[in-house]
Amino acid sequence: MKKLLMILFISAPFIAQLVVLPFANRIDPIVLGLPFLQFWLFLWIVLTPLFTFGIYLLQKSQGGLD
Amino acid sequence: MQQGNLTALSITIFIILTVVLIGFLAGRDKATRSSVEEWSVGGRRFGGLLVWFLVGADLYTAYTFLGLTSTAYTAGSLAFFAIPYSVLAYFISYFFLPKLWKVANEHKLTTLADYARERFDSKLLSSLIAIVGVLMLIPYICLQLSGIQDTLQVAGTGFINVKVVVITSFLLVALYTFFSGIKGPTYTAIIKDVLVWAIMLFMVVSLPIMHFGGWNPMVDKIVNEAPQLLTIPTEGPKGIPWFITAAFVSSLALFMWAHAATGVFTAKSADAIRKNALFLPLYNIVLILVVFLGFIAFLVLPNGTDPRFALLALIQTSYGGIGQGLAYSTIALASLIPCSIMAIGASNLFANNIYRDLINPKVKGAKLTMITRGMVFVVIGLALLFGLVFPQALVSLQLLGVSGMVQIFPAIVISLFWRNQSREATIIGLLVGLAVTFTVYSTGTSLGIYEGFWGLMANFAAVAVLNPLFVKKAKSSTNAVKNYLFEEKAKKVDVLRKGA
Repeated sequence: MKKLLMILFISAPFIAQLVVLPFANRIDPIVLGLPFLQFWLFLWIVLTPLFTFGIYLLQKSQGGLD
Repeated sequence: MQQGNLTALSITIFIILTVVLIGFLAGRDKATRSSVEEWSVGGRRFGGLLVWFLVGADLYTAYTFLGLTSTAYTAGSLAFFAIPYSVLAYFISYFFLPKLWKVANEHKLTTLADYARERFDSKLLSSLIAIVGVLMLIPYICLQLSGIQDTLQVAGTGFINVKVVVITSFLLVALYTFFSGIKGPTYTAIIKDVLVWAIMLFMVVSLPIMHFGGWNPMVDKIVNEAPQLLTIPTEGPKGIPWFITAAFVSSLALFMWAHAATGVFTAKSADAIRKNALFLPLYNIVLILVVFLGFIAFLVLPNGTDPRFALLALIQTSYGGIGQGLAYSTIALASLIPCSIMAIGASNLFANNIYRDLINPKVKGAKLTMITRGMVFVVIGLALLFGLVFPQALVSLQLLGVSGMVQIFPAIVISLFWRNQSREATIIGLLVGLAVTFTVYSTGTSLGIYEGFWGLMANFAAVAVLNPLFVKKAKSSTNAVKNYLFEEKAKKVDVLRKGA
């Protein structure tokens, strides 16, 4: 379970910002006053640190940090 | 060029001088220049917040603000490649920087080239890395130089001799860097970062209101009148493949820059670096907003404005006077302070890994410290020479900076995790990567993909193919760094097991 979460946390920012990007390359819908592409990039500015924090917590719980 | 603005100019010059003064005051304590480690990485005593300011100050430069707005102005959303680039750069750094910092701390290393020398027992590799680092960094300093130059030119035409002021301010920065070391840019970085956030937020709130009556009307106007700005082009020489590969390669390259590495090595613990990786992406909120300033410039400025001056012209037409002065001083600081850190990074490489590793291996102690510090003048002097006298000479190096820097990634990062990576394969990979990058660039055969991507792929391929030929020696040889990275951990686990 933890391993699966780790893989998800590590790969999500790459997949979202590199692989999925061509599909987010559009103007509509406008979310939070941002055209979709800009919203998508903004979203991952916020989500990436959260995923990083998730990884940090996972590592800590496994005693992998010193 | 039209007459400048005296109020704006006076504010800019006043703030620059204040910051230079603070830069000198930061080095009152003689200990700041007592050794290379003190002078260049502050004795590794900086906490998370200070490192955040320092690395933030380091990476978000005048060129970031002016370059991104002018890219947005001419090429629309291609400018947004900077967002996934820097978000991913911090994310990736989370996985290797703490480890790198620990090795550097344990073995008293102050540059990435130092690490490569100790890891691979190779002065050839360390001096190669240093040469690449310095060769790519000096043109980058020139870019910063043009940032402050443009600012003073717009604000000061008719009042001052721009070149004289640029040279004076850079010499002052070189002096305080020589004097205070990394402490100088660190304290001034706080002022710069606070100003950047305040001014950018102020502009992003006020400019849409002034010109369009609010944020949403502005977005509507861009959607209706210039929708081409809002998406990445799907055809043409730079489209989505370029965007994705540029973002990816740049994210791998970011912490390969000497100034970024210097910033990281100032941290007092691996945990400070992890926290830094957590919070640095937030800095990018500013970047998204900056790109929108380029879009505003596109709608507001008359056709035919030089894109290089897009942001500066937008500020001048919109505010004038005090607002312009504060915004311009922010850009000027964003030009001067990163230069100070870059100069420290480059001097360190020069003195430790070119002079000491190649020319005079016996040099150490006070003499090495003095040479490192003195190199600041050489580095800034070269940047001034190329920036002001031969501005065209380094254009391709500027364009290839990131693509060149990323080629040391296998030597610095992969080697932290791969015990049997051999020196020979790493060196050849680095050279192959550089050669492919330059060939692709000069023959124009990038096929819509970022040049550095081809270079890096060739680099990886060369390492993978050649490593088996040299693996025997790599396997049997060991040294302090390899021991620290790979064997001690195994021992620790052993001890733990025996204990249990």
